[in-house]
Amino acid sequence: MPIQLTSQAYCKMLLHTAKYPHCAVNGLLIAEKSKEKKKDGHGVPVLCVDCVPLFHGTLALAPMLEVALTLIDTWCKENNYIIAGYYQANERKKDSKPNQVAEKVAARITENFSEAAIVMVDNSRLTVSCSEPIVVIYDHHENKWRNREVTMGSFEDWSEAQKITSALLVGRSYENLIDFDNHLDDLRNDWTNPVINKSVLDLC
Amino acid sequence: MTYACSHCPLENMASVSELYDVGWEEMRDKLRKWREDNSRNSEQIVDVGEELISDHASKLGDDVWIIYEQVMIAALDCSRDDLALTCLQELRKQFPDSHRVKRLTGMRLEALERYDEANKHYDAILEDDPTNTAARKRKISILKAQGKNGEAIRELNEYLEQFVGDQEAWHELSELYINEHDYGKAAFCLEELMMTNPHNHLYCEQYAEVKYTQGGLENLELSRKYFSQALRLNNRNMRALFGLYMGSGRSKTFASVSPQAGLDTEQQAF
Repeated sequence: MPIQLTSQAYCKMLLHTAKYPHCAVNGLLIAEKSKEKKKDGHGVPVLCVDCVPLFHGTLALAPMLEVALTLIDTWCKENNYIIAGYYQANERKKDSKPNQVAEKVAARITENFSEAAIVMVDNSRLTVSCSEPIVVIYDHHENKWRNREVTMGSFEDWSEAQKITSALLVGRSYENLIDFDNHLDDLRNDWTNPVINKSVLDLC
Repeated sequence: MTYACSHCPLENMASVSELYDVGWEEMRDKLRKWREDNSRNSEQIVDVGEELISDHASKLGDDVWIIYEQVMIAALDCSRDDLALTCLQELRKQFPDSHRVKRLTGMRLEALERYDEANKHYDAILEDDPTNTAARKRKISILKAQGKNGEAIRELNEYLEQFVGDQEAWHELSELYINEHDYGKAAFCLEELMMTNPHNHLYCEQYAEVKYTQGGLENLELSRKYFSQALRLNNRNMRALFGLYMGSGRSKTFASVSPQAGLDTEQQAF
């Protein structure tokens, strides 16, 4: 089942990447929990309505990741969401392959959501104009993570996503983006990013 | 990763001094604070620094040279090669034979991904002065930028054999090991840092995280002890608090852990 990204999810992913250009960053993709269980679910895309930026810098340590997964899982249950995927932007510009950290976290997510995907950001194509989608989506097939072609269909509305992301990058909104690391530094920082979400909504 | 674009600011955009109602002295002091904190807020440094240099260079006195250096490095981070070159040229004029400026020349080449040329500059510095730590560290950074983590680790280990007191290097090495998932060796580096900085709660807390990640009964106990220690040093360290909580939870799943040990550690922290 392929995933689809809303403007808000795509935009916050890129803002997180842009906020820490010298670090690796990662985060979780959130989808709405569907009430009906379709037996023949193939072909119906999973819509990732939001993302939660997690860490920047050192991604390979376990304790804070576990804290984040636990807290975000609880938040999801309260809001009828589910953790549906994982995104990561590597430290180096030309490196956009999922590494061990990505695979481990995605495996954890897959335990609760079998169609979890890994979304890698292609740093080398990150521009302010966002003329093309710069994510690479990986699905789990036969024990391996395989790269799938990203089309306009991978987005709920690509032209809206492009317009909003570009506007927020130009306006340097990433300075106000809060990730889980920022939250751990000061608990008042809200990793749900209500301010950014409102900016996205205003631009829709 | 640096920004792939270099868009020009809008013509009518207000200057920093207008936007924030600050004078040149406040801008200069802000830059000094950022230097002392070693913060990597390159976009802000470029905004403030560029205006300071272009409008108030004559008032800065001897500070202007260190500000040129700071702004140059920030400009490289922001893909502003125009600004970086301007700063570099001023520094070259003032300090023609300086190793410090040569290193900046090398850094600009690194930013342009001309690694071979950059290495030549650093090798020239090292021939002249084999104890120049900055040039050696830049060479290691090039290896890291090229994705040659294994070689970077080797070179950094050799460097540390000679320069055992270089804390920045120990920390860099611990990060490289963590990225390679070699948690044992990362822990060793953090142990070195904790020995020389026993009051630094951040090193304690990061050590505890590494131990937790390593897993296993002994490492979990150690991780709880060091999270507690971090909390003792700074009771606002939330990572240490969460880590202690997570570690205590996990230890309960190990049947052979004595409940008393768990209780002792937690009592120590509070």
